[in-house]
Formats: sequence, structure tokens, C-alpha cells
Amino acid sequence: MNFNKAMEQGNSKERESRLDELFQAYREACPVPEAGANFMPALWARIEAREVSTNWFGRFAKGLVTAALAASVILGMMVSSRNPSGNTSSAFFNATFVDAWSADRVSALEPLDIDRISYLETE
Amino acid sequence: MLVEFELIQKAQQGDSAAFNQIVSAYRRRIMGTISHVIGRPEDVEDVAQEVFIRLYFSLGQLRTAEVFEPWLYRLTVNASYDYLRKSRRRVESRMADLSEQQVMMADAVAGSRAQTDETEKRRVRDTVQELLSNVSEEDRILLTLKEVEGLSLKELEKIYDVNENALKVRLFRARQRVLKKMKEVTGASSSHAKEKETETES
Repeated sequence: MNFNKAMEQGNSKERESRLDELFQAYREACPVPEAGANFMPALWARIEAREVSTNWFGRFAKGLVTAALAASVILGMMVSSRNPSGNTSSAFFNATFVDAWSADRVSALEPLDIDRISYLETE
Repeated sequence: MLVEFELIQKAQQGDSAAFNQIVSAYRRRIMGTISHVIGRPEDVEDVAQEVFIRLYFSLGQLRTAEVFEPWLYRLTVNASYDYLRKSRRRVESRMADLSEQQVMMADAVAGSRAQTDETEKRRVRDTVQELLSNVSEEDRILLTLKEVEGLSLKELEKIYDVNENALKVRLFRARQRVLKKMKEVTGASSSHAKEKETETES
């Protein structure tokens, strides 16, 4: 049992050092490529291309914001034109709670039946 | 630092000649790091250009000289990470599916440093790439920076903006995963060799 454990530990250490050596070999196997003569011109071309696309996107975003603002102003104007006075002086807004409540409930009340009342009185 | 902070300030103000000088100063170092991280020499230049493009567009945010290099490394790490994620070469071919030659290579490469021809180098690259394919892209880059690039924990701490203990834990786990895969491969290669032996005997 102990022998197996020791073997395992030994193998593990061996693997650790092998991995280190493998990384070392990898470092040597990965050459640092020399930049080509076209590196700087290509870099600037890519920078300029990205600047153009960034500017285009910026202009597009600005246009979008302007359009959204204009649309909200127009919508606001349309809503206010449909309700021109603002109607704050109407009876609806000036009535008390009791007035409003009774006005609402009047239609719901049972109509008075005079004949039925007299009939009940005689009985 | 390979350049004066004044030069960086000039580049920040839009001086393209100053920016060119910064690129020239750091190009080789950055390309070396990228080469180790991505392991594909043919794509190194492309990723390096991406790093310098990001540098160009974010240079205005830099305030102090001492953070320039860790920051440039961070841009390099991010660009390499994006490249690795895009390429996604790693997931499909698992270590178990490696060719017999590659499996033998994982076992034998440590003792065969003398083999330096291009074919062998390519095999080493492929083997390490395959081993590293068992960890996430982030851990793969971290492991490469530590084990291959030879960056210290202090340097990595600055680049990743994470405390040293967290880095140690991540590195340990990533290394253990790679070792586990290596163990599987070694086991597979030895059993394969035994099978071959019995075949030849019979």
C-alpha cells in the first residue's frame, strides 16, 4: 500500500518536472516572428478603417438621438392639442367627493314606486 | 520601461510618429508573448496589430507611466483571449484523440531537447497546445504567461489586478488539470506500447 503511494508520489514528481521541461521546450519551439515590412502600414490602415467605422457609428447614434427627441416633442404636441384646455376648470375636477359620488350612484338607485308604497301602507 | 513617458504623452496628443516609436519599441516583446500564448506563428502579426489598435484607441485613458506596461500586457492578454475564443480549435481534438506520434511526443519531448528541426518544434507546439486545451482560455493564458513567458506573480498581479493568492490558486488548479491530462496520455501511450509488443510477439 505504502509502496504504491510512494510510487504514485514519485510519478507525480516526475510528471511535474516533465511538464516544466515540456514548457521549456515549447518556449524554444515558439519562434518570435519578425514583423513584416508591411506591419506599420497595415496597422495604420486598420486604425484608419476603425476610425471611419467609429465615426460612422457615432454619427448614426447622434442621428438616432436627435430623431428620438424630435419624435417625443411631436408626440407631446399632439397629446396636448387633443386636450387643449387641460380641463382643470371643469365640474369634474371642481366637484367635491360627495358630489362626485352621488352623481355616480344616482343611476344605480332603485326608482321610487308610489303605488307599491301605498299598497304596503294599507296592509 | 522601453519608452519615456513623454513619448506616451506625445502619442496621447495625437503624435503619430511618437505612436510609431512606441509600437517599434514594444513590437518584438508583444509578438513574443502572443506567439507563446496562441502557438500559431502565422497569426501572431495579426493579433499584435489588434493589440496596438486597442492601444491607440485607449491611450487617452492612461494617466501614469508605471501602469503602462502591465496595461499593454493586459491588452495583449485580451486580444489573445479573443483570438483563442474565435478560433476554438482546441475543443474538438481532445488529448485522447491525439495521433500516436503526438502521444509519444508528450512522453519523450522532455528528454529530447536536441531535436530542434522544424517538424519537432511543430510537434512540441501541438502537444503543448493540446495539453493546454484542457483548461479554459483564461487559465491557459495565465499558465502560459507564468510557465512559458516566465512572468513573476508580482507582474501577473499587476496585469490581472488580482491578489497573489487568488492567482496562485488559479495557477495550481490549471496546472493540476494539465498534469492530469498528461497522466492519462502517458497511461494511454504505455498501454498502447504494451499492445504493440504483444502483437509483435504473437
